[in-house]
Amino acid sequence: MSSHCPRATWAILGWGALVLAGSLSGCVEGVPQDVIEAVENIDRDLMDLRAAEFSPSEYAKFAHQWMALKARVQADEDLIRWPWEPNSLEIALRRLQEEGVHTVSRLTKERESLRRSAKDKIARVEDRIRTMTLQVSAIDSRLVLGQKPVETDLLMKQAHAFYEQGRYDRSLDASDRAAQNLATQAAVLTSELGRYANRDRISRWQQMVKETITWSRTHRTSAIVISKADRVLTLYRNGQKVLSYPVRLGFNGIREKRYQGDGATPEGRYRITSKRGRGQTQFYRALLLDYPNEDDRRRFQLAQKTGQISASRAIGGQIEIHGVENELMAQTLGCVMLDNPHMALLYDRVDKGTPVTIVGALHEQNSVALTLATLDDRREET
Amino acid sequence: MDIRLTALPAICALLLLTACAKPPTEQIEAAEKAIKEARESGASTYVPEEYAKIEGTLAALKKEETDQESKFSLLRDYGKVEQLAVAAKNEAEHLKTEATKKKEEAKTAALQAQQVAQEAVKTTLELVAKAPTGKDRAALESIKADVEALKASLNQVQMAIDTEDYPTAQTRAKAIHEKSHAVSQEIEAALAKTGKGKPAAAKKK
Repeated sequence: MSSHCPRATWAILGWGALVLAGSLSGCVEGVPQDVIEAVENIDRDLMDLRAAEFSPSEYAKFAHQWMALKARVQADEDLIRWPWEPNSLEIALRRLQEEGVHTVSRLTKERESLRRSAKDKIARVEDRIRTMTLQVSAIDSRLVLGQKPVETDLLMKQAHAFYEQGRYDRSLDASDRAAQNLATQAAVLTSELGRYANRDRISRWQQMVKETITWSRTHRTSAIVISKADRVLTLYRNGQKVLSYPVRLGFNGIREKRYQGDGATPEGRYRITSKRGRGQTQFYRALLLDYPNEDDRRRFQLAQKTGQISASRAIGGQIEIHGVENELMAQTLGCVMLDNPHMALLYDRVDKGTPVTIVGALHEQNSVALTLATLDDRREET
Repeated sequence: MDIRLTALPAICALLLLTACAKPPTEQIEAAEKAIKEARESGASTYVPEEYAKIEGTLAALKKEETDQESKFSLLRDYGKVEQLAVAAKNEAEHLKTEATKKKEEAKTAALQAQQVAQEAVKTTLELVAKAPTGKDRAALESIKADVEALKASLNQVQMAIDTEDYPTAQTRAKAIHEKSHAVSQEIEAALAKTGKGKPAAAKKK
């Protein structure tokens, strides 16, 4: 019995010491350091995510709560708290930690999603630019677009730069603007070259060609038909196709000629007014046309009256079908150019007065109309 | 009894002092002013995390002030409010300095990029003047349109600088520089192939 008593006493004393130690430690530590460190780590994670830029309201909410609790932590440092007292500050910090973990996780996903969107958008717009460049080049219409392709290019370079900097929203914005610019380019092409897809216009061109061929048959002589969309010159004799050669047009040849120096090749019914052989032309051979004719003058005057063409502009002239004598003139300023062997053959088969009909296209499915249709199809893709 | 009578005035004085506890208005106003100045110097753009935190501190300070005001007057203590106001003011001043420094760095970088872009466009323009005009007129006209677009874009860089959007100004200027360089190379390649040949005499077209 005497041996049991000291054991019970020691046990009571032991438990008492434990309770005292627990109580004392509860008094010293207001908020466990690990909770504070955890919230600090979350703040660092949010800063690494550039949450203040990416999701300012989200970060502001976290920062406000964190600063409010931090102020309480600093004020609570000197407080003595009994272990059985609920530590509201610790509870609030743990809640903020929990919310913060969710916020970091959600923002990480959202940022990754934004990154992917920015990357995809860049790829889509660049793909669209490549296709459009090829299409525009195929129908020689780069000049129709003026400064717009460079604008698009600069925007895409900015989109890349912002992407590399991790500013995905700005990257997306730049890509969006580039895509809008592409849509504008497509609209400009459709507006400027829409006549190549216009049935009435094509019917008129077809009628002009038909009449030219009929004239050739009726008068048992030669006639030339040039299709700008196909870049082909065809010689008819007695209403029959005799030869067909590829041609190059003015540097802005696909457009409708409006004034001198615009680089466009005129459309209409002309005649050869002069044949220029060696020594009479800077080119290999040349056939001078009667541009501007009455129709051209009427159109030009109307355009000037309505302000579409400045009063200071001239109508131009000296439109020819010629060869390539001057190596530095590989592209014409508005004429129709043939390779010299073809020019030689053509030159010998036509006379002064031979009709030359230049049309935009001979059929509805011409290269320009097909390109415009493709542009329309792809406009929504970016 | 005498002791109680002697202590009474001291107790009354202490009570009066406590009852007179007022919010540290001056310190709060100073903190608000410093935060406003930090914001105006671009802190929310150039040090956004720190700026969000200081706004959080200001909110905490305001809440503490409201909490104290809702207490019985004898129990009010604005010590913590004052402490937060002083800390917020100091931090805001630091942020203002930091933001000003970062903004100045961004501006300098944008101005440098702008200068490089301007020089690149100038070089390209000089090359365009030397370009072989006849060889491929469409390509030359296209190059001219490109350079005109680059020149116009330089205005956009200036506009971005004027509106203090330095990241846009810098990326735009760099893009102009790159593109200008590419156009210059294109012209130089054409010059290398053809020399400085002159086209045929200009004629009506």
